[in-house]
Amino acid sequence: MAYLISKENIKVLLDALLAVKEVYAPKKDAEETVLFGKLAGSSEWHGDSLLTHTTAKDKVYLQSERFFNIKKDKDGVRIEEAEEPEEIVIFGCRPCDARGFDILNKLFNWNNYVDEYYTKRMEKTTIVSISCLKPESTCFCTSFAKGSPVDATGSDVLLTPLKNGSYLAETFTEKGKGLISNNSKLFAEAAEVDTKEKELFKTEAEAKIVKKIDLAAVKKLMEPAFESAYWDTVHLPCVKCGACTFVCPTCYCFDITEKAFDNINSERVRSWDTCMNELFTRMAGGVNPRTDTKKRFRQRFMHKFNYHVDNFKEELCTGCGRCIKACPVSIDVRKVIEGVK
Amino acid sequence: MSNIYKPHIAKVMDIKVETGDIKSFKFQFVDQAAQKVFTWKSGQFLILNIFGVGEAVFTFANPQTRNEFIECSIRKVGLASEAAHELEVGDTVGIRGPYGNWFPFEKWHGKNLLYVAGGVGLAALRSPIEFSLDNKKDFKNITILYGARSPMDLCYKDKFSDWEQVKDTNMILTADKGAEGWKHKVGFVPAVLKEVHPSPKDTVAIICGPPIMIKFVLKELLDLGFTPEQIITTLEMRMKCGLGKCGRCNVKHLYICKDGPVFSYAELKDLPEEY
Repeated sequence: MAYLISKENIKVLLDALLAVKEVYAPKKDAEETVLFGKLAGSSEWHGDSLLTHTTAKDKVYLQSERFFNIKKDKDGVRIEEAEEPEEIVIFGCRPCDARGFDILNKLFNWNNYVDEYYTKRMEKTTIVSISCLKPESTCFCTSFAKGSPVDATGSDVLLTPLKNGSYLAETFTEKGKGLISNNSKLFAEAAEVDTKEKELFKTEAEAKIVKKIDLAAVKKLMEPAFESAYWDTVHLPCVKCGACTFVCPTCYCFDITEKAFDNINSERVRSWDTCMNELFTRMAGGVNPRTDTKKRFRQRFMHKFNYHVDNFKEELCTGCGRCIKACPVSIDVRKVIEGVK
Repeated sequence: MSNIYKPHIAKVMDIKVETGDIKSFKFQFVDQAAQKVFTWKSGQFLILNIFGVGEAVFTFANPQTRNEFIECSIRKVGLASEAAHELEVGDTVGIRGPYGNWFPFEKWHGKNLLYVAGGVGLAALRSPIEFSLDNKKDFKNITILYGARSPMDLCYKDKFSDWEQVKDTNMILTADKGAEGWKHKVGFVPAVLKEVHPSPKDTVAIICGPPIMIKFVLKELLDLGFTPEQIITTLEMRMKCGLGKCGRCNVKHLYICKDGPVFSYAELKDLPEEY
């Protein structure tokens, strides 16, 4: 079902959502960087920015998450589980980021094991995405089977800006329908002409993304290329900072550690980790299967465009291009994977 | 849904010093009903929680056929294993699992089993060894070739005589360097394997030990005429979740925690040596 909402009513909607839930949307931080932040009012929403510096991934898959508290005393050990997550809205993320959540959903439910920390939080999260009219030069979402500036994968509601200033609002899930029915006064029914305009929007926006990679061909190149001399040199500029993995909407690797406060209290914590770090695979005793940058660099690209495809039939990448922008030495994922030989 | 990261609370029931840096532990769940339904297969592993320190991966040292306790043999090598060595009887730990695949014994009925282990590698083979001894009727001859740096470094010395008493079971012990009173072989495991010269006919070789031993044992077995399908080993990698999610124990698209840790050499030889 498609609806219309005016530009003015978008702000009214935001304030209405804010009144009942936590809303995370692009907003400027103290240093003028646009990030997903918790809105205090609709005026803080920075709707003009295309890509926030980092993704909204950390609102569902927390950068550091307490699994449980542990109390160890003379009566034994007690495990106190974390409190239930709050309902939140992620407002104004882009289709590439929403599709990133769809990829993470599968990973965290893989192999018949449900990661309840992620899954419970995702169940309480409503994702409202906005179609992209002006993709950046680093964008390459259309290289992916589902990728598009108007793709709705992972979104509960997709807003597409129309020429008259209003938005076409489409719902794809019960959560999305609920969001609109709870605020039905702000929405009008869309006409056929509006949905047709979205088709034009799609054509126009997709045409602006000039770089299109044949990912099936990339996978074929990668399969026999593990021992290729290509990896000996392509990694050389890499400074192992891990920024690429930090800004990625799909990088999910994590560490589990324990933080002890005293002899009685400790907490078990899951935190984001990065395959670019030497310690990532180093075992107790010092043996490390991925000792040098070449091996870790190869792992990152092989994982995203070869191994993950074997396991999940889709790449571990949405083409958002953030890693290209974040890399201090201008390593471009598109060039790395197209150059495999 | 149940929390996949939450461990069962267990007590340390017994500790035995095996060597200078290896101790064997017996654990039992506080919740006895949970212990009853907790089952595993030889080759699988668990994640031990040392509360206040963290988690670490260990193999089940005992088989399901001897399941009064959950047993682990732990070499003091890192943060969690050092903390494990500080444990005392009665202390509380956490256990989650079991994880990973297992030795496919059902495919080996009627075959000879040749176990080859080095050092603490026997900890990973004790469970399959005892499982096959407890089900001896299903197998033909069982040979256990075990070596360590010195006689002092052998684990499970107290179990050898029980193992040898099982019909058609043969134990061959070796030490890289002998010592006074040592009546067994002296020399590296691969050299002793060559000398013993087991026939590959109707035999499965199950090997575990340090990487250098594995490498030369593999060579000897292939020279003896074993096919890659007849050679089975178990791998270790750094792991955090044990569930195929934390992303660090992969070799290509396989995760050692969920697709392994048990692999045949036929499977391994096509994988890059990134383990």
